[in-house]
Amino acid sequence: MIDFVAVEQGLALLFSSFSPWMVVVPGIIIGLIFGATPGLQISMAMAIFLPMTLYMDFVQAMLFLTAIFTGGSFGSGIPAILMNIPGTSSAIATAFDGYPMARQGRHNQALGVALVSSVLGTLMGYLILFVMIQPLSLMVLKLGPAEMFAVILWGMTLIASLKGEQVLKGLMAGFVGLLIGTIGFNELGMARGTLGQTYLLDGVPVIPAMMGMFAASELFKLANKGFIVESKASRRVKLSEIFEGFKLAVRYPWVMIRGGLIGVFVGAVPGVGSSVSNLLSYVETQRRDKDPSSFGKGNPKGVVASESANSTSEAGSMATLLALGIPGGGATAVMLAAFAMHNITGGPQFIRQQTDVVYAIIFANFAQVFLLLLIGLLFIPLLANIIKVPMRYLIPSVLVLAVMGSFGLTGNMTGPVTVLVFAVFGWLLRHYGYSVPAAVIGMLLGAMAEKSLLHSYQISGGDLSYVLERPVTLLILALLLVSLFGKHLLGLVRGRKKPAGA
Amino acid sequence: MSAKQRDYGDLLVLMALAGFTLWYLLDAIRVSSAVQNLLLILPLSLVVLAIAALEVGLRLKKGTLLIREESEGEPLHRTLPVVALFAAYVLSLETLGFDVATVLFVAAFLVLKGERHWPLLGGYSLVFGFGVAFFFAQMLPYPMHMLILPG
Repeated sequence: MIDFVAVEQGLALLFSSFSPWMVVVPGIIIGLIFGATPGLQISMAMAIFLPMTLYMDFVQAMLFLTAIFTGGSFGSGIPAILMNIPGTSSAIATAFDGYPMARQGRHNQALGVALVSSVLGTLMGYLILFVMIQPLSLMVLKLGPAEMFAVILWGMTLIASLKGEQVLKGLMAGFVGLLIGTIGFNELGMARGTLGQTYLLDGVPVIPAMMGMFAASELFKLANKGFIVESKASRRVKLSEIFEGFKLAVRYPWVMIRGGLIGVFVGAVPGVGSSVSNLLSYVETQRRDKDPSSFGKGNPKGVVASESANSTSEAGSMATLLALGIPGGGATAVMLAAFAMHNITGGPQFIRQQTDVVYAIIFANFAQVFLLLLIGLLFIPLLANIIKVPMRYLIPSVLVLAVMGSFGLTGNMTGPVTVLVFAVFGWLLRHYGYSVPAAVIGMLLGAMAEKSLLHSYQISGGDLSYVLERPVTLLILALLLVSLFGKHLLGLVRGRKKPAGA
Repeated sequence: MSAKQRDYGDLLVLMALAGFTLWYLLDAIRVSSAVQNLLLILPLSLVVLAIAALEVGLRLKKGTLLIREESEGEPLHRTLPVVALFAAYVLSLETLGFDVATVLFVAAFLVLKGERHWPLLGGYSLVFGFGVAFFFAQMLPYPMHMLILPG
């Protein structure tokens, strides 16, 4: 499983000179800044700085890009906690409990919890990658479109049913989100729901829509408040409380391990990655908790679950990239471009022939997590000052950042207009008790769900019994049914038992 | 607003979601009725419409069809000026440019939310508005429409 000669060569690659390390600290800082700025994406940071890697050797280039990735995955949790604006889709679940914690004046703790969960999550992810890279790559190859569709449907249903008492509204929001996600050209070149607008042919721009639904609609809701945290005493940035957050995070090792495992395996599925893993981990943690109703109200376990999963997803998506040469998302797609720039093709051949390079990248990431801990600690007090800004200054500033960032993503007015449309949509959904996260996840996964279903249909030739030959698909569908009706079934069983025992 | 008050908005949002779903389904069928095109859209739309019908049915049974059962935040009309201002900002970007529109949006928002310290209001709007517009114009590879600053 582990090639020890290659391990030795990998260590030699890293420590024979100091030059590979010179790019790590700048990379983490760039990642933190881009991740923490609503509207800027980790993939955007990597794309902007990609040309710089031309002047680096391959290992140095990979260290630089993975450092941006690592910094960004924690950075995106910062606005999620302080402003309820996930910097990227991988931090959506971080906002569920991180933001309520901030509003209770526990922002220092929440940031501490997020930092430690990120650091330990990344560490765990790369450890798993170190041991499992070869078997994992074989496993990923076995996941077909039917399994992908089942995973998407399961994730969707779990998210939609998060709001216990409003399941119907949650499901409706999620499914309408899925439909919106299919707007535009499908795989066969048929354009649906575009209203004749050419800018919708590629579908609704998902990230601007997400910014509108999460950020802008939440800001509208807060428009009449004075501060994010009303109590002046609670607005202080205290290092001691950040350390309390550290302790709080390690108090839930099982939540972290579960999040890590979900992160690594879901992160390895191309195209699904950290956007889904943080939500799956969150929902699983909530489902298994003794007090599920405390989630969404500032339960630190929610932050641990999300941050540990999205950090380990990085390792999972790296596994797919290294072993198969398939990018799991935007960030790994940029890395694939770096591969090409250095005339390297990822895949089983690469793993076999350049195992030392693969191990060097993994070992460098072990060191990166400790650097992230230090740099993150320095940055948190700086960034946590956001909550001291009065809302009348914060709201227009963040809205402007979202508008500019969305323009940056699309390169034309489609981005800002999408933010506006989905801000109003999200505001109305939120106001009337529909699940905004479910709608957003639906939009993110709509096109992928349709593609997976279409591929399954093509492979099976329209024969439904094909599903019966896919045990993993059946297992996931069974889990879906259990998560939807499990509680009711359990209630029914208990209800029947009671009279018998009475 | 009290927890139980007559409110048509909830029903309107439900109808709007169902209406969008129906329109989208018909549009997809108009484009092509091939199985490959409707594989996901048709069953999903039917599920959404069934959920909408079930929700209406349940609320009719409970007698809460026109009563808002749960809501987050303030009444809609208190937030409407902010939404309108944001819409005006986005829609004016192409006319006023990202620089001037941003300065005006920030200043108008501050006035709307009660800021009366005029030097602070003017200073912040100018520095933040021009600063952010300039930063993005420099960072992004596309031309940004500006009225004063270089695009």
